[in-house]
Amino acid sequence: MKRTFLAFILTSMLLLPNLGVARVYIDIGSPTFRPFPIAITGFKDLSPVSGDIAKSIHAILLNDLTISGLFEIVEQEDFPQWQFKQRLSDEECQEWLESGAEALAWGTVLQEGSRINVHFWFLDLIERNLTTGRYSGEVGRFREIVHRIGNEIIRQVTGQKGVLDTQIAYVSKYTGNKEIHSINFDGHNAVQITSNRSINLSPAWSPDNRIIAYTCFRRRNPDLYFADLSNKTHRLFLGAAGLNAAPAWSPDSKRLALMMRRGGSSEIFLINRDGSNLAQLTHTSYNEASPTWSPDGRRLAFVSDRTGSPQIYVMDLASKRTVRLTYNGSYNASPDWSPRGDRIAYCGRLERRFDIFTIKIDGSENLMLTSEAGGNEDPVWSPDGRYIVFSSTRSGNPHLFIMNANGTNPRRLTRNEGGETQPSWSPRTDSE
Amino acid sequence: MSMRVALACVLIGFVVFMSTGCQRGIVIEEGDEKAKGTEAVEGKAREEGKMADEKERIEASLQTKRYPGIEGEVLESSMLKDIHFAFDRYDLSPEARGALARNADFILKFPEAKIQIEGHCDERGTNEYNLALGDRRAMSAKNYLLSLGVPVTRLSTISYGEELPLDPRHNEEAWAKNRRGHFVILSR
Repeated sequence: MKRTFLAFILTSMLLLPNLGVARVYIDIGSPTFRPFPIAITGFKDLSPVSGDIAKSIHAILLNDLTISGLFEIVEQEDFPQWQFKQRLSDEECQEWLESGAEALAWGTVLQEGSRINVHFWFLDLIERNLTTGRYSGEVGRFREIVHRIGNEIIRQVTGQKGVLDTQIAYVSKYTGNKEIHSINFDGHNAVQITSNRSINLSPAWSPDNRIIAYTCFRRRNPDLYFADLSNKTHRLFLGAAGLNAAPAWSPDSKRLALMMRRGGSSEIFLINRDGSNLAQLTHTSYNEASPTWSPDGRRLAFVSDRTGSPQIYVMDLASKRTVRLTYNGSYNASPDWSPRGDRIAYCGRLERRFDIFTIKIDGSENLMLTSEAGGNEDPVWSPDGRYIVFSSTRSGNPHLFIMNANGTNPRRLTRNEGGETQPSWSPRTDSE
Repeated sequence: MSMRVALACVLIGFVVFMSTGCQRGIVIEEGDEKAKGTEAVEGKAREEGKMADEKERIEASLQTKRYPGIEGEVLESSMLKDIHFAFDRYDLSPEARGALARNADFILKFPEAKIQIEGHCDERGTNEYNLALGDRRAMSAKNYLLSLGVPVTRLSTISYGEELPLDPRHNEEAWAKNRRGHFVILSR
């Protein structure tokens, strides 16, 4: 899974080499957000043998930028005359601005044997800031090159790379029973990760991109397994009688929080990745479930029914001081701490239906992100904090959807018929 | 084939236990009037006849069951009744207690059997919280069976959360069926 094979070089920022990003644009979560108008003129094919790859790269990049929710794509019929070039004159820039575009991207593709080299240019038409980059990799994996180009364009516009290279693991009933699968952010490249025909639940993708932890019932007990992403092997990690469930990786990937049975009820535990130092964190006669880490690794949020119904609590790991976070409604569960640290996404039941909410860590600004669209559960933040993936029954069986973190622009991610639930977002493989 | 041999062995064990168990019961009453002696002998014969009937009834009630993707197989008995729960609850209703008392009778009459109590939930709510809830339901049933004298070594529990609904429909009737404690025989 690790993309070390993809040798890439991001070359110079030609005109303003040290600034990187010239303008700070308003981001997707803001109420005053405006999609950034961009024109992609296409990729010039420098090698006749590469067939349709240049066209595919263009199409995938357009789709990437569209689903990012950050851009408004200028239609081809509004384009001024275009011919491949390395830089544009002031008059040409003005012409493109009049077409409605505020940035322009284009590139070249060269196939050499089993590898392709993609060179792209990104021109900020207002600042006249030109950036260029060069990527190469195996022909068969050219989609990943396109995602990296898209991430770089997003960085140019927002100051932060996109998550176009990321994947989402989830539980799918596509084969008739619940197996762990993964899929790319753009809905392509679906891969089946478990094939044990048992019940597989709660995938948790490690932040170091090496392991997916999950619960499996094959030994007639909910045990915790590790799927090694580099060699595709699976091994039993923890098999205590009772529960070994709801794994959550610490941000440094060194520990897991999980739920286990102790004294007749489910409690939150910590364990090191090597299996050492199992430690019980909660000591109640109630059920605790679904831990999630704060990005600094100092706090955990989890579900507890200690007041008679499931609600979300936040525990400081050093002092063990625990504070109740949610008070709205009688069923709040499935917390996921945002990578920016300021909010927790969760699902809550109001008027007999589950919807997705986010709430600040101090309990203020509770926002309802879904409504009137089936049952909505399992919210999980993207690693950049811009999006939330969740499962929804709005079109029948549960399917995964990705929306902006403010609830706008939901799009369906998975297209199978069996039903998909319990997403877990991979880390970025594309370094900042 | 091996299942049949095992079945036969267990049957023999069952008969032996039942007869010795009955004798012990009479020994306790030995201190009473001697007149009861003949009654006891007749009673014993009647009891043994009843036990044989019971044994047959138990055997007839058993059915092997395999769970997809789970190692091994279990036995189900139509004499072990499911118990049911309210939404998001794990406390036992009077009906559930009644069913558990009858299940305890069955378990005590079947002394080699290891029983597994399964906790199940309806599809509403999160899979993970439902795993905890199902576990709690199974534990409620287990604790009640212990209070009725079932030895702890004969009971185990598992939560399937909302993963194995009895009724796949999405309505109140299905949900009520799916919020259940179910009893299987792991070995005997």
